[in-house]
Amino acid sequence: MPQADEQFAGLRKGLLEFALLTVISVERVYVADILALLAETPFATQEGTLYPLLSKLRREELVDYEWVESEAGPPRKYYSLTDKGRGRLGDLGAYWRHLTTTLENLGR
Amino acid sequence: MERVVTINLNGNPYQLDESAYDALRAYLARAEAALGADPDKAEIIRDLEQAVADKCAGYLSAHKSVVAAAEMNAILGEMGPVEGAEPHDDGEPAQSNEPPHKRLYRLAGDSKIAGVCSGIGAYFDLDANLIRFLFIIAALFTSGFFILVYIAMMFLIPSAQTSAEWAAAHGAPFNAQEVIDRAKREYARFTDGSARGWRREQRAWRRSMREQAQSWRHGWEPAAAPASPVGYVARVFAGLFAFVFSIVTAALLIAFLIALFSLLNTGAVLGWTPPGDSPNWLAIAVLCIAYAALASPLGYLRRSSYAAASGRRFHHGGADGLVTLLAVLAGGALAYQLLPDFREWARDIPDLWRTIRLEF
Repeated sequence: MPQADEQFAGLRKGLLEFALLTVISVERVYVADILALLAETPFATQEGTLYPLLSKLRREELVDYEWVESEAGPPRKYYSLTDKGRGRLGDLGAYWRHLTTTLENLGR
Repeated sequence: MERVVTINLNGNPYQLDESAYDALRAYLARAEAALGADPDKAEIIRDLEQAVADKCAGYLSAHKSVVAAAEMNAILGEMGPVEGAEPHDDGEPAQSNEPPHKRLYRLAGDSKIAGVCSGIGAYFDLDANLIRFLFIIAALFTSGFFILVYIAMMFLIPSAQTSAEWAAAHGAPFNAQEVIDRAKREYARFTDGSARGWRREQRAWRRSMREQAQSWRHGWEPAAAPASPVGYVARVFAGLFAFVFSIVTAALLIAFLIALFSLLNTGAVLGWTPPGDSPNWLAIAVLCIAYAALASPLGYLRRSSYAAASGRRFHHGGADGLVTLLAVLAGGALAYQLLPDFREWARDIPDLWRTIRLEF
């Protein structure tokens, strides 16, 4: 849906944080993992967007990272959700369901 | 043939060819501009550098040690534009699409003398040569007054040093290609430097390149990145002070030379003869010391004003100079007022000289 790609960019952008929290909630990931996981989805994104967003989430204490040594190079930052982040993800999920049910019911 | 630039990323050296280096620098400069006041800017920039480094490693092998421009463009394309963390929800449009606020800068890169005319031209969207022409006509009709205006503007208008400022001078959106083009142009200017004979400018440029190269070699500390701009208004003021201090130091130098010559020729300064029959060399020595005591702090102030006005860093604050000057003056005045001994000693200096002379 190339057209949808253009048209709904704002929608996806707004939901990127939701998608990002979801990805991080599954397991501890580092940026390349996140990019790879999102690459196949409509939420495909790039480092230039991801790093500032992660740093903002960390400032809001929704995610945290720790340095993990890697065999293939310098240590990497592995991100995981904080308790506050889990709470936010739960809220987001609930609100999202509320939005979608509202939208579906509006048409009836 | 391209030159190769070695950069240091987290302790690992990477070699880029020059256009790749330009592209990377432009990317990081834009990232910094986009991040604006983000409190974690330094960390994000480090993360971005690390990500670039990881991607560079993917292009290198035992038989290939230099990252080429095309590869760097691919890497930066993958990285994507850096977006500020705080989206502008309050109706303010994202800055990437909106032309930045237009500001008057001198454009040293496109200059005949100091870039005043090309800066004005860029500001009003007019050809710089038209402005130059008008300036010359105006100078002719005002019998040279506009030359003074030009000189004043040279000091007052800050020169555009960073890519963001350069873009702001044109009111153009800030994009990588423009920055790279500009870097290329400046490089070309630098290589055939003798063509225009602006040796002084060339030297300054080389110096700033060296400083930059050094800061890059030191592992890209964000604090030492090329752009550490002082605010526009502050730089206008710094330019004003640079102008004033230049005039004052020049006047001081002229006064010193006049005093020195009159001392040598007539043995007196402005009708004042050194007291008693103190030796000429002593009077000259005192004059030199007095000149140095006044000129060195003023020189500090002038140089630091220049540095602030051009957005460069100066290792000694202007305060150093002011403090030294004040300390010298205040020390003398206080000693004269509070210490009778000093006062008497100061009055006895002629006698002192006579004694010294007798001793010899």
